[in-house]
Order: sequence, then structure tokens, then C-alpha cells
Amino acid sequence: MNREKVVFSFFMILALTLNFGFFAGEVDNPNHHNVYELFAVIIVNLIATVLKFGDRSQMGAMLLATSLVALVQLFSASIVWAYVVNIQGNVMTADTMSTIISLSGGAMIANFISVILLIIETSMMRH
Amino acid sequence: MSLVTSLIMRQMRIPIIILITGYAISILGMVITPGIDNQGNPWHMSFFDAFYFVSYTATTIGFGEIPYTLTNAQRTWALITIYLTVVAWFYSLGKIVSLVQDPMFREALKESQFSQQLARIPDKFIIICGFGETGHALAKALTERNIHTVVIEENERLIQTLPLEDFPLVIPGFKGDARDPEKLIQAGLQNEKCAAIIAVTASDETNLKIAVTSKLLHPDICVICRSELEDYESNMFSFGTDFVINPFETFANIFAMAMHSPALHLLYDWLTGVPDTDLTNPIYIKEGHWVICGFGRFGNALYRQLLKSNIQVTIIDPSEEKRDTFLSRAENKHNDFIIGTGFDAHTLTMAGITQAIGLVSGTDNDTNNLSIIMTAREINPELFIVARHNKKANEKLFEATQANIIMQPSEIIARKIRTLLVAPLMIAFLNKARNQDPSWANITISRIMGALGESVPSIWTLHVNEKEARALCQVLRLGRVIRVGNLLQNPRKREKQLETVPLMLKRNQKLLLMPTSDIAIKSGDQILFCGTPSALRSMQWSQNDLHSLNYIMTYEDTPDAYIWRKFHQFLKRNERRNRPRQKRHLMK
Repeated sequence: MNREKVVFSFFMILALTLNFGFFAGEVDNPNHHNVYELFAVIIVNLIATVLKFGDRSQMGAMLLATSLVALVQLFSASIVWAYVVNIQGNVMTADTMSTIISLSGGAMIANFISVILLIIETSMMRH
Repeated sequence: MSLVTSLIMRQMRIPIIILITGYAISILGMVITPGIDNQGNPWHMSFFDAFYFVSYTATTIGFGEIPYTLTNAQRTWALITIYLTVVAWFYSLGKIVSLVQDPMFREALKESQFSQQLARIPDKFIIICGFGETGHALAKALTERNIHTVVIEENERLIQTLPLEDFPLVIPGFKGDARDPEKLIQAGLQNEKCAAIIAVTASDETNLKIAVTSKLLHPDICVICRSELEDYESNMFSFGTDFVINPFETFANIFAMAMHSPALHLLYDWLTGVPDTDLTNPIYIKEGHWVICGFGRFGNALYRQLLKSNIQVTIIDPSEEKRDTFLSRAENKHNDFIIGTGFDAHTLTMAGITQAIGLVSGTDNDTNNLSIIMTAREINPELFIVARHNKKANEKLFEATQANIIMQPSEIIARKIRTLLVAPLMIAFLNKARNQDPSWANITISRIMGALGESVPSIWTLHVNEKEARALCQVLRLGRVIRVGNLLQNPRKREKQLETVPLMLKRNQKLLLMPTSDIAIKSGDQILFCGTPSALRSMQWSQNDLHSLNYIMTYEDTPDAYIWRKFHQFLKRNERRNRPRQKRHLMK
């Protein structure tokens, strides 16, 4: 058992599940989407990305790329949130919420691909 | 991703994760902890506020309690935030510092630097193995001729001095044992730009290993080796090493040349010396009795040359074994072998130093050599002295002895390899020159001196091909005749001659010594010149610049650009039209 792989898989899958948790619900209803969950997704995704730093294998590079994509999406989502609520000082509207959710939906796809790559890598190791 | 970046990234994983976790815990705590706004209403920090607060606290900037004064609960959490994040930062910074100081990281950094420098070399390069005195002299000479070199050397200190010295080109230095094929490959042995490898380390064994490795891994390149022992020499030749240079044999050959024809030796000395140094004086060696102290590789090589000239020789060496083998050979029957060291007056007198005309102090110990010279000089001040100089550090001492010839192995090898690489035709020239009658060398010397003056000339070869002489080839293709003499004209002022002498012309494997000015140049010719560096630059103009060549050939300064050319033609047409008919031929 490779400890590095276990830790990485843990963070990768956690990122996907949290992302799904945040994403699930009506797109434009702010009550269905928790800000703490978004925070957790970002932190877990950051850690998963850093864990792939310096991996020189082809698969490692792919995983780094997908994690970076997810991060870009999530950062955009949080920036939108901070801009509307904290900078403009407005209340969260259905409009803004749907933007944030669709961005996090993109991040979820990236995270999903990461997990699939992870599964492929693991199944290839069996052979 | 290069090895260096991936090393950094891998090492930075844990510190970054610790930072992220520290920030995450602090931010989350700040958001959860209840606070009160300035109206006394319960209030929670947003993630934005919390991120802002933690960012300036963690970096010890400390803007204070923003936007509202913190409650005691929030202050408690702020305390935790401070210790958590500040410690995380210190840990990460410490990790970066220790990474930079890590010897493995530094090695990786140096290797990546080296391969970058190697990749940046635009054309062919030569690998020099061993950056001792010979390697240093070669690197200097080659870079001055615009030939790129790469150095591989085991001694880290010598590699570190590389960037400090003022070489005309950047010389990538690689620290490593040249016996290790892996290191040689890293140094660029299998690189397609690698043209030659020179093995000039101090050990014959290493040189042999380098030669074998190079011939196996990159058979096309030229391999040049230094070798001091005969066994290794024949071994190197056995698998096709291109040139094996034995400093003692080489010196003995030069010495024989000096003995037979001082003029030829002088010519050799000038044409193979370091350009821009002072010209040396001829050496005259009288016939008579010689004493050789030290019958090692050096003494032996010189002895064989003296034997060929039927000169009486007495040898002094402490080894009984060598004496027995010496005396057992029939060809040595006229010569004497005395057991002794040579630095005491008694042995030297027994060897007949009082009547001798020459002395070779050829042991491998510099102190002994110096002592022999001093003692011998005291007994017989008229002696012609050949001194073997082993260590560079003793240079001043040997100069002070004023020995007639000082033989320094590294200098001999550097000179030979330099000639081989910079002007391969020079070897052929010197071989051919040996077969000329003695007066030929004298005439050549006076010609070179007349044209060039007081310093050692630069040597270059003109290849008449598209790449190196574009303009010349273009004009030759048009069917015009260019003579050797044309090339000697100055492209700035054609009445003046360049300070250069053509030494040899090579055409279809045929060699012609000292080509005269009226010989017409053909495409594919190679001409060996000696001259001043400025003459070389001027000649490159007339080789490659159509304008300059035209000026030399036609006595006309033709303009290059389209408009000027048309204008020029127009002027000429008018001139011709207005010129009285009978005078036309006189105008030229």
C-alpha cells in the first residue's frame, strides 16, 4: 500500500463529494447552497493540487491539470460571491447564485475527471 | 518539467499544505466565532472579512481589529490564529532555505544549468576532459578561435574558476569523473553537435577509458588523447583513436628538428605558437658530446633521436636495471651509462660534463632538475641545456635558470592539439616543409617576417566553398578569374597589401607549398594563411562581401542598393555619351 496514493485519493474524492454537496439543490436558491461547503471544497481542492506538485509521471501531470482547472472554477465562484456580497454590498440574489453554482458545476466535472483518472491509474496497477 | 522544478515542488508540498491548513482553520474559526457590530447587534465575519483578517495577521502586518472591535471570544480565536499561521510561515520559509542549501539540490541546479548552457551552443563543440594546464591552454586557444568547448573535470575548484576567467565564449563546466560513461554522456558526448573529444587528464588510464567510451558511444567524432606510456598509446591506437599525443616523443621530434635545421624549427615554433606573443629566436645546437640525466620516458625519447644523429651520449640514472638493459643492446655500444643522480658534481664530471656541449636534465622531479642544471652550469658555463619542467608552479624557477630549451609537457600537448584542431592543414604543411632543402626554410622565414613583423602570426584556412566564402564562389561561378594575389589586397585600400602570407594550397589532395600570387583559385580549394588578426578580418570581408570583392577585382566602387545602382548606371551612360570617342581608352 502506498501511503502517498491513499492520502491523495482521499483528498481527491473528498473534493468531489464536497463539490457535489455544494452543487446539489436548486440552481438559483441561495438556501440550498452553504457557503461553508464552498470554503471546504476550495481548501480540499487546494491540498489535492499541492499533493501533485513535483510528480513527473504522465498521470501526475494530468491530475495536476484537472485539479488546477477545478481550482480556477472554484476561485471564480468565490470571487463572484465576494464581489457581489462584500464589495457591492448587495444581498445574494437568484441571479448571482446561479452563476456561482454553474461555476462550481464546472469544477465538479474537473474533479470527476480527476477521480476517473485515479481509478484508471489504480486499475492499471493491478495488471 | 525539469528535475530542479520538480525537486522544489516535491519538497514544497508539506510546507504549502501546512500553510493551507493553518489558513483554513483560522478563517473558519474567525467566521464561526460570534462578534458584535458597532450598534451592539450580534454579527459574524464573512469569509471575505475573515480571509482579510487572517492574511494581515499571518504575515505579521497587523492592521488591527477591522471592521468592528473584536469581542473577547474573537480575540481568543485571533490568538490561536496568530500562533498557528505565523509558525506555519516560519516553517515554510525555513524549509525553502534548507532546500536551497541542500547539496543534492545544488547539484541538480548545476546540472540543469550546464545542460541549458549546452543547449545554447549554436554549432559544433569540443569536449575537453581534464581542465589542468593543458586543458586550460586549449580552452583558451579554441574559444579565441570561436570554437565552442565544454569542460568535464573532477576537481570542483577548477570548475568553479571557469566563469571567473575571461574566455571569449561561455565554457560550460561539468563536474564529474570522466571515466564514468554516464557523466560523459551528460557532458554532451552523444550530442550531435559534439565534433571532437580531447582527453588530457593527468592519468593515462583515464584517457584510455575516455577514448574507448567515445569510440563506442559516438564513433564519428574525432578523439584526441594524451598518453605518456607506450603501452597505453598502442592500446589507444588499436581501436581507432584519431590522434594520440605523447609529449615526450613530440618534444624529441621537435628537438631533432632543431638540431638538423634551426630555420625549420623556428618556422615550426612561429606557426604553432600562441598568436600575438613575441617571436622567438632561432636555436643553434652544436655537434658534440651530450649528457642525459634521468633515463625515463623523456630521456629515452631524446636519446633515441640523438642516437639517430650518431651523437655520443652519456647517460646518468640511478637505476641498475635500466643500465643492464641499456648495455645489453648492441646499438648502445658507443655510449656510456653511469649510475647516479646527476645533481652532484662528481657524477657529472665522471660523465664528462667538462667537455660536453649539451645537457639534458630530464628527471620527473623539478627540484632535481633545477639542481642538476645549477651544478652543471657551475662546472661548464658553456653548456646547452634542455630542461624538463613538470609542475606549472615552478615556472619562474626554470625561467631563472636560463636553460636553452625548457620542455613543459602540458605546453607541448596544448600546442599540438591546438594545431590539429585549429589548422589541420598546418600538420601537412610542416611535414612537407621537412622535405625541402635547408635554404627554403630561411627564405620562408624572411618572407613571413617581412610581411608580419614582430609577433607570432595567427593561422587560418580559407575553404573556398559556399559556406565560408560566399562572394568568392559567386564570382567564380560567373567564370571570372580570381588569383591568390587578389586575396592579399586590402579591401579598404586595394593598393595596400594585407599583412598575410599564403603558406599552402590544397586542391584535390594535392599540396602546393607557398603558392604564388598568380595562381588562380578554384572552387573547393583550401588555402592555409598566416597573418595578423586584422588581416584575417579584412580577408573575411573580401571572401564574403561581394562589394569588397568587386572593389578588389574591378577597380570600381559599385553601389549595392537598387536606387544607387540605377543612379550609378545612369551617370556612367551619360559619361560615356559625352566622352570624346578617341579618348575613351585613356580615361580608364
